[in-house]
Amino acid sequence: MNIKVVRTKAEIEGRIIEATALVEGRDLAPWGTDSGLAIVGKGHPRVDGIARVTGRAQYTQDLYLPGMLHVRVLRSPYPRARVRRVDASRALALPGVRGVLHRFNAPKAAFRGEETIFRDEVRFVGDEVAALAADTEETAADAVRLIDVDYELLPFVADLEEAMRDDATRLTEKGNVTESGTYERGDTKRAFAEASVVVEATYRTSTQLHNSLETHGAVARWDGDLLTVWESTQHVFGVRAGLQAALKIPYSDIRVLCDYMGGGFGSKGGAGKYTIVASIFARQLGKPVRCFLTRDEENLAAGNRSATYQTVKIAAKGKRIHAIEHLSWSNSGQGRWVADPTGPTNGLYDIPHVRTRSYKVVTSLGALSAFRAPGYVEGTFALDQAIDELADRIGEDPLALRRRHAALQTDPVTGMRYSLKRLLACYDIGAKEIGWQHRKPEGTRGSAPHRRRGYGMASQLWGGSGFPPAYATVHLNPDGTAVLRCGTQDIGTGTRTVLAQLVAEELGLALGDVRVELGDTSSQYAPISAGSLTVSSVGPAVRLAAKDARMQLLDAASGLLEVGATELRVERGAIVSTGRRTQIGEVLGQIENYTVIGKGSRFPNPEDISLKTFGAHFAQVEVDVRTGEVFVEHIVAVHDIGRVINPLTAASQVEGGVIQGLGFVLSEERVVDRPTGRVLNGNLEGYKVPTIRDVPKITVRFIDDPDTKANNIGAKGLGEPPIIPLPAAIANAVANAIGVRVRTAPITRQRVLEALELRP
Amino acid sequence: MKPFAYARPRAVTEALKLARGGATVMAGGTDLLGLMKDGIAAPERIVDIRSLEPLRGWARAKGKGLRIGALVSLVDLETSAELARTMPIIGEALRPAATAQLRTMGTVGGNLLQRNRCWYFRDEAYPCWLKGGVRCFAIEGDNRLHAIVGAEECVAVAPSDLAPALIAYDATVSLTGSRGTRTMPLVDLFVTPHGRVRREHAITSDELIIEVRVPENALTRRGAFEKAMERKTWSFALVSVAVSAKLIGGVVRDARIVLGGVAPVPWRARDAEKLLEGQVLDDAACQAAADAALERAEPLKDNGYKVPLARELVRRTLRRLA
Ligand SMILES: Cc1cc2nc3c(=O)[nH]c(=O)nc-3n(C[C@H](O)[C@H](O)[C@H](O)COP(=O)(O)OP(=O)(O)OC[C@H]3O[C@@H](n4cnc5c(N)ncnc54)[C@H](O)[C@@H]3O)c2cc1C
Ligand code: SF4
Repeated sequence: MNIKVVRTKAEIEGRIIEATALVEGRDLAPWGTDSGLAIVGKGHPRVDGIARVTGRAQYTQDLYLPGMLHVRVLRSPYPRARVRRVDASRALALPGVRGVLHRFNAPKAAFRGEETIFRDEVRFVGDEVAALAADTEETAADAVRLIDVDYELLPFVADLEEAMRDDATRLTEKGNVTESGTYERGDTKRAFAEASVVVEATYRTSTQLHNSLETHGAVARWDGDLLTVWESTQHVFGVRAGLQAALKIPYSDIRVLCDYMGGGFGSKGGAGKYTIVASIFARQLGKPVRCFLTRDEENLAAGNRSATYQTVKIAAKGKRIHAIEHLSWSNSGQGRWVADPTGPTNGLYDIPHVRTRSYKVVTSLGALSAFRAPGYVEGTFALDQAIDELADRIGEDPLALRRRHAALQTDPVTGMRYSLKRLLACYDIGAKEIGWQHRKPEGTRGSAPHRRRGYGMASQLWGGSGFPPAYATVHLNPDGTAVLRCGTQDIGTGTRTVLAQLVAEELGLALGDVRVELGDTSSQYAPISAGSLTVSSVGPAVRLAAKDARMQLLDAASGLLEVGATELRVERGAIVSTGRRTQIGEVLGQIENYTVIGKGSRFPNPEDISLKTFGAHFAQVEVDVRTGEVFVEHIVAVHDIGRVINPLTAASQVEGGVIQGLGFVLSEERVVDRPTGRVLNGNLEGYKVPTIRDVPKITVRFIDDPDTKANNIGAKGLGEPPIIPLPAAIANAVANAIGVRVRTAPITRQRVLEALELRP
Repeated sequence: MKPFAYARPRAVTEALKLARGGATVMAGGTDLLGLMKDGIAAPERIVDIRSLEPLRGWARAKGKGLRIGALVSLVDLETSAELARTMPIIGEALRPAATAQLRTMGTVGGNLLQRNRCWYFRDEAYPCWLKGGVRCFAIEGDNRLHAIVGAEECVAVAPSDLAPALIAYDATVSLTGSRGTRTMPLVDLFVTPHGRVRREHAITSDELIIEVRVPENALTRRGAFEKAMERKTWSFALVSVAVSAKLIGGVVRDARIVLGGVAPVPWRARDAEKLLEGQVLDDAACQAAADAALERAEPLKDNGYKVPLARELVRRTLRRLA
């Protein structure tokens, strides 16, 4: 076989990474618009839909192994403290308690750059102090309260803007604020001086909590040297790597499994402390061990979307945007990285003079983790509102203003041509569907007294190209059915269905004849299900694997049917030559139990081209100016993501993104008590995710042009795009409706009423 | 959770005997169990009252008004077609309350006696004044959800949606205890925590709510209810307002204006009620009453928005009476 090493650059979650991968054979020519596809591009219901809605689907949280022990974690009640002493004797005396781990007795276990999972200095309310294993969940919960800890309290700061101040408590030697992103083009200084209108504004976004329905957790079991871990994760291979680093055991001794998965939204990227704790206890105690977070713990210690403080200065020259300066500070909590909200400002619009800076701010709060388009949601909230504010000032329609800056076919950051960019088409469709012509600069009357109606829109930029490495194997059975095995996972997005479609299409099978096995490190590697890269990374490898199986099948068939392989093709489960159809099973059945094994790998992206996704959201809202209530009446979401493999699963991604965006912009806000650093609403009653009643009419549209330069299936990612522009579109619609702007998300009744009160 | 004894008596006398020995009453458990799991309540003994027949059922007896047993589930009231005719304000108040699951488990008695939702109160780490500590954490802390009127040491608000609606219809409540039975206006069941009174209700630990009654003549009232939430459902009220009045020849008699979510108790805006007496419910009268209802408001640092919000809900509900 002809194997090649490839090195490639790719973008994930707004960051550029380098990847090295192996590829085998040659890539396939992309399916074009005229490829006459039978299964790809059609709206097939999820292959696992029935299992999910009937409750037969097994999630990690459903897994109860015989003899299993249960872990509860003792978490710091203080935002910053030194753990001087841990006394677990009272807890251990409780019947049913099997063990306690803490900083004084736990084996060393490397975790995300630290040597241990129990820090000597705990750094936020919810930081792990000790873990306890017991026979039942109830015993564990009771016993963990009996662990006595002696803390030495240390100064802390539990608020973004407080931490930014010069006189704030310094949480690290370098201070609390570090520069994390910088970008410039043109000459903003000169440009602002020569501009006709300059608008400056400050925007704030709140900390958003993921609240995946399935909380973070794992079940671990040792069989001799083999550690099996079931984990609710977006990346089984990431968990494996984390376990190897922590426990110093070889890959051959680790198997990680994730079948059904109840949501991650970016926060389940690798092994957690719970994974390592469960694994250590399971080894020490010789029993399977389960460690799942409660909802409260989930909302303290399992990640969040950083709150931001952003300032934007934007200038017009005539009827064009001339310059923009965007500075952004993100509350990373105790996170080791930070997302960059200035990405859209740098790359979305064709603006000649741009200057952006972003800063990471540490605070005594739980670490951020990636959350569906990290940075871009927050950044677009500021950017696209600033554009509307400028449009208002120069008396221009905000959509018309954007159009002047949205046509460019080269990426303003890299100077490379886009493979495909149909942003203007998104605008056209969205404007028509929402009825943009009804928008008046001062808003219009609403459907009831004291209600005002407004329209708003915003644009979306994101990557989503996918990249190597990703591998897949297709087993074609002697009866003509196939099994796809791939190390990716279906985190609820519909991956199983979409991959089955690709196999069925390429191999000429019915969809029902393809089974998909995911979420197992015994398969070949696949990347994290994040960054909108699953379909675009894994899909092309899956197609190649199916094609490899097809070629082998045809070779075999050619021998058995005595027809040249090039004269044969596969169609709906049969091998077809001129005038003859033979079922695959009939052909392969002639050979005793032979399984055709097709292999595929993801080829690198073209080097000299920019692969991006685009889109636009349009919102029609009403606002009650006396009660501050926002009524979202209609959302139109248009996305340009290359080929749509399955319009049904794609639409459900968009609806989910829109709803999560509505939560971000209208109701979701982690509230922290500054004097104590405690989260006051880390539960589903106080932290307001949208309910079904909060979901408006949502119209979903796709451009659905295959991006034939991107990869062999012509598809790019869609996981994150549908949350990005929604908050800004709503904010713009609210401002249009009521004539004042609420620059802080979420736009609650409180903030609407306060803004109206201050109205000039 | 601390271990506790559990009993499910079949007779009220038996329940009272158990209660006298220091037990905590449980009906649907939707509030009590949450408090126990969060470490706020730690009863030694639980008396499950769900088998007590005299507390069940509701009925309207001709000439005798409406009787609602303490154990009636919220969902029974909310979905009753008969009640929708007799006293529609109850359905209005309950539909946006909690969730369908909670309304199915939750009872009338439990709803009236539920504890406040102050986030410092609900977090066991805060030894706040109401829990016997020395200070209120909300006054200096985040008090966007707290009281704008009528508070003393504790600025938590009365959370029930049902209470304002019932009070606006002059409901009374009957309690039975070891020292006999007493009936009082429902509004008096609620007390403002102050001084040595670190509780929200006038009921003693060895008493049971048997029933709530709405007098016959109140059922001729017109009523209206509005609730403002942070999302469209499944939320406690930022502000709720129940109003009622008799309209005789277009003129208001005996108005009731009761606000939830603004004070430590369901807040009767008596000045505003008086102002409406003998008035025609036109825009000006409704606005004047709404202004009067909030005149004494003293918002904290984060909850000033509740004042215009409450004012508007009062105005709107009154307008709906006309
Ligand atoms: C997430 C959530 C949201 C909610 N939203 C709302 C809302 O929007 N609006 C609203 O009005 N309510 C709301 N509630 C409160 C809910 O309505 C109450 O929890 C419920 O009505 C309580 O009834 P229960 O029978 O379950 O009470 P329990 O939990 O059983 O009891 C509550 C208290 O009342 C006492 N008690 C109960 N019955 C009697 C009796 N007959 N005699 C003496 N003492 C008694 C108990 O001892 C206990 O102290 C919400 C609750 C939750 C958890
Ligand atoms: S408002 Fe009342 S319940 Fe809340 S912290 Fe203050 S005293 Fe405690």
